Amino acid sequence: MDAVITFFSSQQVFKAEKVLKNNGISIEIIPGPREISPNCGVAICFEYENKKELISLFDRNNIMYEKIYYYPKIKKLSNWLDN
Amino acid sequence: MLDGKNNLKKRIIYFDNAATSWPKPESVIHSMKDSLENLGGSPGRSGHILSINSSRMLESVRESLGKYFKYQDTSRIIFTKNITEALNNCIFSLVKPGDHVITSSMEHNSVMRPLRYLEKRGVQLTIVKCYSDGLIDPENILKKIKKNTALIAITHASNVTGRIMPAREIADISLEKEIPIVLDCAQTAGAIEMDIDLNKYKNCIIAFTGHKNMFGPTGTGGMCIGKEINIEPIIFGGTGSESDKDQQPKVLPDRLESGTINITGLVGLKTGIDYILEKGINNIRRHEIELLKRFLSGLGQIKGSRIYGPADPKKQVGLVSFNLNEISPSEVGFLLDRKYSIMCRVGLHCNPNAHKTIGTFPQGTVRFGFSYFNNIEQIDLALKAIREIIFDK
Repeated sequence: MDAVITFFSSQQVFKAEKVLKNNGISIEIIPGPREISPNCGVAICFEYENKKELISLFDRNNIMYEKIYYYPKIKKLSNWLDN
Repeated sequence: MLDGKNNLKKRIIYFDNAATSWPKPESVIHSMKDSLENLGGSPGRSGHILSINSSRMLESVRESLGKYFKYQDTSRIIFTKNITEALNNCIFSLVKPGDHVITSSMEHNSVMRPLRYLEKRGVQLTIVKCYSDGLIDPENILKKIKKNTALIAITHASNVTGRIMPAREIADISLEKEIPIVLDCAQTAGAIEMDIDLNKYKNCIIAFTGHKNMFGPTGTGGMCIGKEINIEPIIFGGTGSESDKDQQPKVLPDRLESGTINITGLVGLKTGIDYILEKGINNIRRHEIELLKRFLSGLGQIKGSRIYGPADPKKQVGLVSFNLNEISPSEVGFLLDRKYSIMCRVGLHCNPNAHKTIGTFPQGTVRFGFSYFNNIEQIDLALKAIREIIFDK
């Protein structure tokens, strides 16, 4: 995974997690990288190529997010998660 | 635990469910134990697995509530320690000096006391008188609306007579006049199907408690806030979000949920609501109507008894207020408890105004509050006990 999406509230993170998983999108909940955003303790990392689908699912399900980051640095972490 | 241990349920008849429901479904107890053993962590705080699991669980509590209230915006389902806190939060946030508030003469002190406090600080208060069975006439609310009316605060069903209020008619008035309305659903949430759709009544707040009909533990409650209502916090503090700032975050539910949340209690609440959803709210209501029918018709035949409220199972939630001859309610309650192991609530039920409205102030009434876990046999035993108490006097 090479992208991170941040939220203002962890409530939205877990609402988002459910919607994304129900739609078969592979994600991981991670501690929010401090250098990206201090807003929420946790964030969601995903494949950047799924960005459009993510945004459309969030719009349809009334999920509020802060920002989407292309963040290849997270690969190291998510590769570790995959193992 | 009391001395009863396992057979407590068999030895006593618990008719104080309008205060706190007991027993709880077994699943509620198991889920809370499981939560303490396996859920651990602070929801919405750390990023480790125990904390993530807690946060995930917290969102599923909101989802269960959302299913019951038919409200999908889980960010606007806010948890408080009980309904009193939720009602206080609404009232103190929405009412300022110079504003006018309309309420009814059947309100619990959780609404009346904050309003009386504010009245001393420049808030105008109109208390609409209800009929002697507790019913309010929505027309009388409409007549009292002024330019500066900032809030209508009404109970969904009386905790003294059980009378179900015409909430939708009142909500229609508030919607038309664009005035926020808060519904005290202490006695209805989990007992009857919710007749207020927050997707339509965006100016409405439904306040609920977890420990009565929703089968959760004490220490759980909250409010569902319509989209057009902005509630300001009365408690400020850590939320796990915007931790780089020393200002309260604006985002919901964080803005109104400072401090570590009662996740163990809320897991119990979720399991209680899931139990209701599984049984079906209308089946639960039907059972309570059966109990009401049996008790009301039995009590009505006992000479010396007097029933307050509508005495009509369809018009009230599963609670009944009554008195026996001139015997004081506290004496009746004492005899029922010590001689017959029937537990109920006697006196004023934190609601002096309702008792003034129905003519039972200051002595109050005996109140039986039924639950899904009561049965006809228990009703018959209670009727027998009541006959004996009257006969012995």
